[in-house]
Amino acid sequence: MLAHIPSAMLSGVDGRRIDVEVHVSPGLPGFTIVGLPDAAVREARDRVRAAVLSSGYKWATNRVTVNLAPSGLRKAGSGLDLAIAVGVLVVGRRIDPARITDMAFVGELGLDGSVRPIPGIVSLVAALADHRFVVVPEASAAEAALVGGDRVRSVATLLELVQAVGGDAPWPRRPRSIDRRDRRAPIPDLADVRGQAVGRRAVEVAAAGGHHLLLVGPPGSGKTMLASRLPGILPALDREEALEVTRVHSAAGVRVDGGGFAVRPPFRAPHHGSTDVSLVGGGSTWLRPGEISLAHRGVLFLDELGEFPPRILDMLRQPLEEGVVRIRRARAAVDLPARFLLVGAMNPCPCGEGSTEGGCRCSDLARARYARRLSAPLLDRFDLAVALARPDVDQLLGGSSGEATPVVAARVRRARSLAHRRRLRCNAEIRTSELDVVAPLSPDARDLLERRLRVGSLSARGLHRVRKVARTIADLDDAGLTVGVRQVAEALQLRAARSALGVTSG
Amino acid sequence: MSKPPLAPSDTDAAYATALASLGVSPGRLRKVLADRSPAGAWQALAEGRHPVDPEGALRSRATPAVLRDAFASRGSSPVAVRVLGLPGYPESLAADIDPPAVLFALGDLTAWEGRPRVAIVGTRSATAPGRALATELGAALADAGVVVVSGLARGIDSAVHSGVVHSSRAAPPVAVLGTAVDAKVTAAQAALRRQVGTIGVLLSELPPGAIGARWWFAVRNRVMAALAHVVVVVECHTRGGALHTVAAARRRGVCVAAVPGSIRSAASAGTNALLVQGAQAVRDADDVLALVASVATQCPEITGPTGRVPSRPRAAGPARQMPSGDAARTVRRALDHDPASLDVLVRRSGLAIGEVALALERLADAGIAVGEHGWWSLSPR
Repeated sequence: MLAHIPSAMLSGVDGRRIDVEVHVSPGLPGFTIVGLPDAAVREARDRVRAAVLSSGYKWATNRVTVNLAPSGLRKAGSGLDLAIAVGVLVVGRRIDPARITDMAFVGELGLDGSVRPIPGIVSLVAALADHRFVVVPEASAAEAALVGGDRVRSVATLLELVQAVGGDAPWPRRPRSIDRRDRRAPIPDLADVRGQAVGRRAVEVAAAGGHHLLLVGPPGSGKTMLASRLPGILPALDREEALEVTRVHSAAGVRVDGGGFAVRPPFRAPHHGSTDVSLVGGGSTWLRPGEISLAHRGVLFLDELGEFPPRILDMLRQPLEEGVVRIRRARAAVDLPARFLLVGAMNPCPCGEGSTEGGCRCSDLARARYARRLSAPLLDRFDLAVALARPDVDQLLGGSSGEATPVVAARVRRARSLAHRRRLRCNAEIRTSELDVVAPLSPDARDLLERRLRVGSLSARGLHRVRKVARTIADLDDAGLTVGVRQVAEALQLRAARSALGVTSG
Repeated sequence: MSKPPLAPSDTDAAYATALASLGVSPGRLRKVLADRSPAGAWQALAEGRHPVDPEGALRSRATPAVLRDAFASRGSSPVAVRVLGLPGYPESLAADIDPPAVLFALGDLTAWEGRPRVAIVGTRSATAPGRALATELGAALADAGVVVVSGLARGIDSAVHSGVVHSSRAAPPVAVLGTAVDAKVTAAQAALRRQVGTIGVLLSELPPGAIGARWWFAVRNRVMAALAHVVVVVECHTRGGALHTVAAARRRGVCVAAVPGSIRSAASAGTNALLVQGAQAVRDADDVLALVASVATQCPEITGPTGRVPSRPRAAGPARQMPSGDAARTVRRALDHDPASLDVLVRRSGLAIGEVALALERLADAGIAVGEHGWWSLSPR
C-alpha cells in the first residue's frame, strides 16, 4: 500500500514542494525515513508515532517506509510532520485517499497530536499553489491566507484533521482574514527631533531617493533617533512589496506586527557583535535569511559602523549593489532578497568628540586607524554623509519642533512618484548614462561642479552621486526638470562629512 | 652670499661614508675622525691601531667589503657628503657643541646660511587643529623668508613642511632626518620628502641605504636645535621626541617657544608644561617673527643681507570679492573663526539648507569661508 502526500519545505525564503511517499509492507515492524532527512526530520518518526497514538489510532505493526522526494535534496525542519502523519493514516486505512486528493499538508506535530505553527508558512503555501486545498496549523492560518486565500484549511490537532477530511465534522473555523489596518505601536515621529535641521533633511532625502545615509556625530547627537524615524517617512509598502517582506519575515520566524502582514517598511538594527551568518544569512542545514534580508524594502541601521568587523561590512557590498544576497554552499544555493536602505552611524573618532573643535583627545594615528575600518568601496555606497552635533540646551528645552512625520512623508511620496514616472523605484537607481536626460544641470550648477572637480574636492564617481542626490532634492522642492545650483550645493553639503573619515576627495 | 662650492674629495667622501656606516654614535665618530683624514682614520681602525678603539670592536666591523660598498655607492650618488673639518662643512654646524662628524645631504647646503632659522617640532600623534596650525606656521614663516627646520616625522613635523611646500617658498626648508635620506617611508611621506629635497635641504647623519637604530631619531634632534635660532614646539605630550629637541636647544642657549593649548588636551600637555617652565608663548607666525627679531639683535648672523628680519608679506593670492546676494551676506555674518556645523549656520542665518549650502559654496570660491568635514569657518587669512 502506498500513499502520496504533497507538502513543502523552506529553502532560503522560498518554498519547495516535497512529495511525502509512505509505503507499508509486510515484514518486521519498523519506521524509517529516507530522502536525506536532517536531524529534525528524522525525529519526525517519534513525533508522528506519538501523535498518531495520542489521537487514538493504532500504530501499524508492519514495516513503514517514508520517502521524501526529491530524494537528492537535503530536508530540514519539522514542517513535514503533518504530511507524514497523514500518509501513515492513509496506509493504515484511517483516511480515505480519495478524500484528500488535491490536498497538501504542512505543519509540525506535538506528541499529544496538536498541530504547531512553522516558520515560512507564506512561502510554503505559495509553493503549493497548484493544490485545491492546503492544510496548515491553525496558528499560521492568518499568515497562510495572505497567499492562499480560500484554499487554506487550518486544524489545531491531528484528530480534527482526520474528522474533517472524513466528513465526520466540518473544517474548524475558517482562517481569520488579516486585519490590514496598522495595529503596531506608533512609529516615532520626526517632530520629536529637536534642532538637527540638516540631519532631518538628510533623512528626508535618503527616504525620497533611496540614498544610503551615513550619520557622523558624537554620542548623544541623535543618530539613532533620526534613523529610527526613517520607516515612518518611507512610503508604505505596496501589496507586492508587503508580500516579499512578509515572506522573508515568515521564513526567518520573525513576527511582523499588524496581523502578520507587513505594511510598513521594516527597520532592522543589528548589533555590531552580530555574526556574519546572522547578518547576511545562511546556516548549516536550513539557509535562514539574515538581518539584511529582514531589512528588505526597509531600513538596515548599522549603529557604531566603525565597530563592525571590516570583513562583515565588506560582505554588504554585493547585496548593496544587486539587491539580493547569493548564498552558496556545497549542497545548497539560495538567493535571498536584500534591497534595503543602509543607514550607518558612527562617531567621528574613537573618543567621539572629533567633530567639536579641540574636544577630541584622539591622536592622528588613532583617528586614521578608526577611519580605515570602513573600506573605501563601502564608504562609496553612501550618497549622503552628514555631520551631526549635539543639540544645545536652548534647542532641547525650547525651540520649535520641526515638521512632523506625515508632512515629510507626503513630500517623500511625491518625490517617489516623480521617480516612478522615470520608470525607477527611486532616484538612487538612476543610471549614469541617463543623468543628462533625467537630471540636466543648469549652467551655474554645471559651473559649480566643474570648479569642485578642478580643485579635486570631487571625484568622477562622486559627481554622479551628487547629481543623483541633487535630482532627489529638486524632486522634493518640486523644482522641475532642470537641477539648479542650489540643489547641487545642497547635495554637496549633504555628503561633506565623508572627509572626516579619511576620504580626501569624494 | 653664496660661497664657492666646496666639498671633500671623492676619496675622502667615500672613506667618510664607510666610517659612518660602522654604526657608531656621532660623538665617537667625531673622535675617530679627530686630527685624521677619513682615509687615515679608516686605515688606523682597520689595522687596529686607532686609540679610540683599543679593544678592536670597530676593527672587526671595518672590513674591506664595507669600504668597497662605500666607494661603489659614492659613484654617481646625488647625495653630498660633508666631513667636519673638511671643506664644504656648514659653518653654522661646525661651531656647535656636538656637531655631526659626517653629514649626508641633498640640496644646497649653503642656502640657509645668513637667514633666520626656526625649528618647528611636535608630536607624531598630533590633533587636527595642531596640524593645521603647524601648516599655517610653516607657510607663513617660509613666506616671511625664514628657513623652517623640522624632522619630517609624522604629525606636526610633516604638517610644518607641507605648509612650507605650499608657500611662496621665500626661504628653503631644511629637514633633518632620523633615517637615511633614501630610507623607505610611506608614499605620502616620500612625496613630501621629495618636495622638500627639491626646494630645500635634506640632512642626515646616516649614509644612504643605512638602517639606523631608533636612537638616531633622538640624536638628530640636536642638529635641529643646533641649526635653529628659535625652536617652536606646536604640540607635544609630556614625553616625546620634541622634548629632546627642547633639551638640546636649552643646552645651546637657543630660544624655546611653545604654542599654548587646551589644558585638557593630552597633545598639548607637554607644550603647556614648557610654558610653565618659562618657554616663550607663541600663537601665530607674527609671534614667532617677533621672537626671531628679538633674538636677531643678539645674534648678528641672522640679520641677513638687509640687516633686519624680513617682515611677513600681506596675504597674497586672488582678491577676495564678496559674492553678491543677501543669502551670502547673511551666511557670511553667521560664520565665525570657530568652525560651525552646517546645522548651526542654518539656525544662525534662518535660511533654508539649500540657500545656506549655495552661499557657502560661493563664499568658499571667494576664499572667504573654508569647510572641512562639513564644518565651516571664516578663512584664516
